[in-house]
Amino acid sequence: MKFVKLDMNEMPCAPPKHVIEAAQRGLLDLNRYADVRDLRQLQMLLSEYAKVPRRHVMLSSGSDLLLRAIVHAFSWDRQVVTVSPSFLPTVQIADRSAHRHRRLRLRLSPPVFRLDPDLLLGALKPPTLVIIDNPNNPTGQMLLDCDLVASLADREETLIVVDEAYFEFSSVTCAELVTDTPNLCVVRTLDKAFGLAGAHIGYAIAGEHFVEVLSTPLALLPQPSLRAAMEALRNPDYMRGNVRQIVEERAWLGEALSASGATVYPSHANFLLVRAQLPDMALLLRELKVRVSDMAAQLPAGYIRVSVGTPEENRIFVKRYKQLIDEEQH
Amino acid sequence: MRKVIGLIVNPVAGMGGSVGLKGTDGRMYERALALGADPITPQRTGHFLAYISRQDGIRWLVAPGKMGEDYAKSAHISFTVVGEIGEQTSAEDTKRLAQEMMDRGIELLVFVGGDGTARDICDAVGTDLPVVGVPAGVKVFSAAFALSARAAADMVDAFVRGVGVTEEEVLDIDEEAFRDDRLASKLYGYLLVPEVRTFLQPGKTASNVGRSATEAKQAIAAQIVEEMDPETLYLLGPGTTAKAITDRLGLAKTLLGVDAVLAGKLVGEDMNERGILDLLKECSQRKILVTPIGGNGFIFGRGSKQFTPEVIRQVGRENIIVVGTSDKMVGLECLRVDTGDLALDEALSGYIEITIGYRDEMVMEVRYR
Repeated sequence: MKFVKLDMNEMPCAPPKHVIEAAQRGLLDLNRYADVRDLRQLQMLLSEYAKVPRRHVMLSSGSDLLLRAIVHAFSWDRQVVTVSPSFLPTVQIADRSAHRHRRLRLRLSPPVFRLDPDLLLGALKPPTLVIIDNPNNPTGQMLLDCDLVASLADREETLIVVDEAYFEFSSVTCAELVTDTPNLCVVRTLDKAFGLAGAHIGYAIAGEHFVEVLSTPLALLPQPSLRAAMEALRNPDYMRGNVRQIVEERAWLGEALSASGATVYPSHANFLLVRAQLPDMALLLRELKVRVSDMAAQLPAGYIRVSVGTPEENRIFVKRYKQLIDEEQH
Repeated sequence: MRKVIGLIVNPVAGMGGSVGLKGTDGRMYERALALGADPITPQRTGHFLAYISRQDGIRWLVAPGKMGEDYAKSAHISFTVVGEIGEQTSAEDTKRLAQEMMDRGIELLVFVGGDGTARDICDAVGTDLPVVGVPAGVKVFSAAFALSARAAADMVDAFVRGVGVTEEEVLDIDEEAFRDDRLASKLYGYLLVPEVRTFLQPGKTASNVGRSATEAKQAIAAQIVEEMDPETLYLLGPGTTAKAITDRLGLAKTLLGVDAVLAGKLVGEDMNERGILDLLKECSQRKILVTPIGGNGFIFGRGSKQFTPEVIRQVGRENIIVVGTSDKMVGLECLRVDTGDLALDEALSGYIEITIGYRDEMVMEVRYR
């Protein structure tokens, strides 16, 4: 039996045929670096998609690499402010590289985790680099709105990075602020809603200050990834279909888990944060060939993050979950 | 060489849960029975024994009857029975059997029970011997317990393979207060447990990138010592994180008590409220350093005999330093206070900064009630 893989917040289905065929065409040029004209073309497509001028768009082999580059470039003489819990690689890079690292613990105020705006504004001791994922991973919560981002940006010597990896599921963005806000950078990816995790392409919608420091906006992307990304952005309807399906399944999954006695947190992304009744639920599920993400590195025991899969996968997961709860009770 | 491992089961632990009681201290056990509670330890112990994959590497010494022998028989493992018990079992049996097993040369002691059982084990073996705690209580709070029967079995397997040990907290939970929906706890002592957290929870590995609990405490100590002011009196609360600070200063620390440091010298050892108040009269600049209790996050709990409301008031909220390893802090939803003085609890609530490493802080909410 194959693993049901619900631990990495990937799309459960392969991208459509036209995108895969584009990637296959990229294989024919595997001896060549990506053509700069193609890279510019992708930059153009992304600028249209994000509705910002092209010079603000920067390409990368994955948004995680982009976040890493940003921390490396700006944190050696700055305090880095992150939230806890958050996207773990960001926290780890800040831990290793930052001059000083301050983590603001989200406040559990049932039914959601919150970030108190006054706490955030009060935590800024310039020079500061703030990095916040919005929606937050793993809580699925929206932590920022454009007003709060604008207030942060008004502070002296403060740089703000908003990780919008799950933007397509929340439809909330502060990308439009970037043109007038040199100290703001929005980081996104095609891994999630576009279903291109295997192509692993990220991009930044970067304010002037970030554009200046982070040098070349055109990363030499792998040929198949580049072609797949261009094709996906030319015909993005399938992405909207993906999002609709995930949002529907997310509602079903949340209700089914709640009915099993789990605490399920509302989500604006393609995953759910769940407080399971068993502290080692992730480990137990793994033995039943279901992979979910154990949040023990960032939250108390029993918190798991489960990606929304196909209807079939979600039903297998819920069945196994119930089975484990029943076994515990009898 | 097979490892010699002892097994002691508290047969009455965990019985309160199904009938809505909290804990089976004192007469509550009889009440639980009267309410029709089933013992849950047989099932937990059975699961635990079944999950161990390295039975071939273990020689079991088990307590008699329902304190061990019965489950070992059902699990079809080979074992030797140690000691004797009567019809009714008590904390004294646990302590006596633990001692007898130690005399017989066990290398690890497994106990099944709740926080009360952990305290009995703590009294009997202290930190002379590593232990594995299988949680069978209504709700266990002490960090010395494994997460589950399954996780406890993994810890035993890891011990058989050969892993290091680390100190974990045993808490004194006031069951009366808990029944009253108030959670009051204080640090009771430490037990040595096999250090296999990273192995149990794959997620944990990533957070530490090869950093052990000891190294994390040293990083905190480096930060605190770097910022220490020679004219300020530091009242260091209990715990191994505070001990890392005195270690760095080359001073001794009372693990469960409050010690005072001024200008790099120890000016008070295992102090009570009176002693602290006397010292405060002499020093105008003072700070309290505390670490939250793992699992529930208390920084000041009711019954904390040294940091009384009077002491905390005199020192002031702004002079409270909270320290804790990131592994401990991420296991908490918030910090808590329950000093028994409501106005003070209210004043202590709100956000507070916690030093979690070298130039690494977390800001977390303090709640009361």
